[in-house]
Amino acid sequence: MDFTFSPEHQALRRLVREFAENEVAPLAAEIDRKHQIPFETLRKLGEIGLLGVCFPQEYGGMGAGETGYCILMEELGRVCTSTATNVGAHIGIGAMAIHLDGNPEQKRKYLTPLARGEKIAAFGLTESNAGSDAANIRTRAVREGDSWILDGGKVYITNGGFADIVTVMAVTDPALGARGGVTAFIVEASWPGFKVAREEDKMGIRGTSTAELVFEELRVPHENVLGKVGEGFVTFMKSLDMGRLTLGAACLGGAQAALEMAVYWAKTRRQFGVELAHKQSVQWAIANIATEIEALRSLVYRVAWMVDTGQTGQEFTQLAAMCKMYGSEVASRAIDLALQIYGGLGVTRDFHIERAFRDARIAEIFEGTNEIQRIVIASNIFREYGVRIRP
Amino acid sequence: MRIAVVLGRVLDPRGIVVNRRAGRIFINREEYILQPADRCALEAALRIKDAASAEVVALPRTFLPDDDVLCQALATGADRAIYLTGGPLGADEALMARVLVAAIAKLGGADLILTGATTMDTGQSQLGPRLAEALNWPQVLNAWAVETADGAARAVVNAGAGYVQVEVDLPAVITLLPGALKPRYPRGTQLINIYRGVGEIAQALEQWPAADLVEEAALTPVVERRGQDFPPERERGVRLTGSPEEVARAAAEALRKRLPR
Amino acid sequence: MDFALSEEQRMFRDMFRNFAAKELAPRADEIDHAETMPPEIVRKAVDQGFFGATLPEDCYGAALDHVSYVLLLENLATACASLAVSVAAHVSLVAMSILEFGTDAQKEEWLPPMAAGEVIGAFALTEPDAGTDTRVLETRARYDGDEVILDGVKTWVTNGEQAGLFLVFARGPQGMDAYLVPRDAPGLTVGYREPTLGLRSAYFNTVYLEGCRVPQANRLGAPGDGEKIARRAEDRMSIALAAIGLGLAESSVDVAAQYATERVQFGVPIGQKQAIQNYIANAHAETEALRYLVYRAAWLVDQGENFSVDASLVKTFAARMARSVTNWMLQVLGGYGFMEDYPMARKYRDARVLGIIGGPTEWHTFRVAQAIFAAKDMAIAP
Repeated sequence: MDFTFSPEHQALRRLVREFAENEVAPLAAEIDRKHQIPFETLRKLGEIGLLGVCFPQEYGGMGAGETGYCILMEELGRVCTSTATNVGAHIGIGAMAIHLDGNPEQKRKYLTPLARGEKIAAFGLTESNAGSDAANIRTRAVREGDSWILDGGKVYITNGGFADIVTVMAVTDPALGARGGVTAFIVEASWPGFKVAREEDKMGIRGTSTAELVFEELRVPHENVLGKVGEGFVTFMKSLDMGRLTLGAACLGGAQAALEMAVYWAKTRRQFGVELAHKQSVQWAIANIATEIEALRSLVYRVAWMVDTGQTGQEFTQLAAMCKMYGSEVASRAIDLALQIYGGLGVTRDFHIERAFRDARIAEIFEGTNEIQRIVIASNIFREYGVRIRP
Repeated sequence: MRIAVVLGRVLDPRGIVVNRRAGRIFINREEYILQPADRCALEAALRIKDAASAEVVALPRTFLPDDDVLCQALATGADRAIYLTGGPLGADEALMARVLVAAIAKLGGADLILTGATTMDTGQSQLGPRLAEALNWPQVLNAWAVETADGAARAVVNAGAGYVQVEVDLPAVITLLPGALKPRYPRGTQLINIYRGVGEIAQALEQWPAADLVEEAALTPVVERRGQDFPPERERGVRLTGSPEEVARAAAEALRKRLPR
Repeated sequence: MDFALSEEQRMFRDMFRNFAAKELAPRADEIDHAETMPPEIVRKAVDQGFFGATLPEDCYGAALDHVSYVLLLENLATACASLAVSVAAHVSLVAMSILEFGTDAQKEEWLPPMAAGEVIGAFALTEPDAGTDTRVLETRARYDGDEVILDGVKTWVTNGEQAGLFLVFARGPQGMDAYLVPRDAPGLTVGYREPTLGLRSAYFNTVYLEGCRVPQANRLGAPGDGEKIARRAEDRMSIALAAIGLGLAESSVDVAAQYATERVQFGVPIGQKQAIQNYIANAHAETEALRYLVYRAAWLVDQGENFSVDASLVKTFAARMARSVTNWMLQVLGGYGFMEDYPMARKYRDARVLGIIGGPTEWHTFRVAQAIFAAKDMAIAP
């Protein structure tokens, strides 16, 4: 057993932390207020190579593995949830599907510019009636010679409003359903028939794009089928597992930042003649959340280590769900605590805790609600005992 | 053209807490960063390299327990890095000037030496002048910016009320102030590869034993560190109350007391 | 024991509910996004007599009992918590303080226009360095003949921007005093408005008092009575805020339950899923527990009993429940809960602010503990 980070990962963290503090943190309040995508930040991240952090060097990536990717997400999550979300949707689910199941030609053509940050990816799974329930997908793809014609639409697509490349899940055989009848496609946003229909107005992560996409007779060449026809569900679930792990890492960063803020204010703010740090209810709350954060940290990096050492079987799916579920809940609790300790300052928009509070809430919902994560975890546990649970 | 950049490291101040009363530094997170001024020197070298091709060689400003700063320099864009080993860790600037002069000679000389004007932790600023003295080169200290052209270097320095441009013939030593330039970030891929010791970049890092450069006797430090002390704690502020006139009067009175006669 | 509302209370409740549904609910999102309280909405609330809710008829008030008053705030909050907070600050913090401690002349001067909504009341106690801990107030009251000169800065003054009358607390020669300061008093400036997480159409301002002069006759109560006046006002406000928390909680349960009947996942409405059933059932239980705690506290006020500890009890419980209920109900809505074009996100933000304003939860929890230990003959310090 070895719980230390390798020298290259320590160096990477130093780089990412510096970048996050110098380039990301100063913009966090502004992109939230103005509802803006931090394009310039994404460009700089791409320039350094961070948008390809976990992809192989032969496809323009950095080759720092899943651990490196978790480090990136943790450090971004510490300073700006919106930026972390942009990056997570791009690397963690959008480009990840191509990385996991793309053929060498697809990787050369699509993964390389994505890893270099020259293009931005999004992940097209959710529909208005099929969120976590992927079996209800309505977007259809019909074979026509060397192409597929896509009709339908997706909602709540992170990065959807500006992504160049979207991995889209569509039904190719309605008779077969999720297992065998759903296929993943690599779609370029510039193709005719691809339309951004609407941008959502959200409570938090306002520096991100959450868009509704519409496909009308969108012609996709057959070579852009990702993985095998009919096996899109598997591709997407594998990507989601990766995304869940790294969302947990981003939550870890958010929780850590909240803890640091709470501690700072508790040692600064005086009430009734003493600093809040001397109040036992504050001490208890800090001790509890710090323990949870450490547990989360261990979980996240252990699961990242599993990915880096090729242990991505059934157990990984369950652990990735735990990272996302526990991470989002720890982050929410940590930020709630920080807000309570800051009192009035915590609820004014002049101060970043208010933003963190609004931002944090989405992590319990997107990339599969925490209820879905619990179903995933429970079904894995029961499967070990030979029981197939109904969701 | 060859530019030698001399770099050191410093404890990341965000990981430490100084307790003056206890006379101790608490290290919460033992992480090192490049000395900010040295990092500016590296940036200056890389800008010269970008503008007119040059070979940038990174050297340590003292003997270090690991090659971390050199790896960072390589990942950021230096062409070669020389890790000096076998000397006393944290050796003083007098000793290091001798070693570095020998190392530069072994490199085949250099046209320009760039380094930080001062260190962040101990405020040392002799390395540049000592190198210039030992090499008998001209020096420009505390520069804000550097550029080279036609066998000369031009540096911007602060001259009282304004800034002036100073020109020196190469070879020369120039030291840069911390914060002079916004340093670039290391390239991610290079960073990963250098620490993993893979790829072309790994070949750029060389290890030179100090004993091959100078005689054994020259490696004995002339400065010994016996302890540390802290400046006195800053006086606590006083909160003035009353009408604006009263507050203004009290503030003026307090200032008058503190002004030197 | 009798848990039923009287005929009259039921009638009032229906009227409030109707007003909230018809006049407020359709515009609540718009009001929240614009972060202003439109004058025509305030006018409608005034016309209904809400701004004189508990004031007696001889002051042209609506003479509501406290149970009816919490019904009012609860129902306003189901649609628009910002308006409810504004009414509560006006009535509970300012008007009722004047009714309880004012001289006849003060009552005659201020209460009729307050009941008529011509003058909105604002409460100026909190300071940058003194929130709950009122012993460290820095605003000073200097006596100068028939006049008093006030100097200091007040923050988080609810209704600040709209107000015509400020109830200002300041340290005088004999302890804390309370003063009725009209908006046009020389030296009073309404400044910065806090942009808040929730309750975005309520106004929380910084108010500057710079050599602000008011007649001695504007002092509410005797010199040194400020502590008592502030405490009473805060107790009343605690119950009012709890009622607002109740309104937020019950309306979120309603929204989420409705959504759970419509949203289909895995082939069935999510209301068929046990986890969702549990969320909603637990949230409902919490809401009902809160409901009767709120009604009981209001009833205690009507009975003329000491309600000080109960006010803190209900405030701390309400802040916790409103936070937890809106949180879980938002989770039922999933992605839709996070979108600003559905009311759930607003309710969640509003509910979180309730845990901070009117004294943080920790302070009220302390007061409850203090009462419990006092019964065991032990004094505890905050």
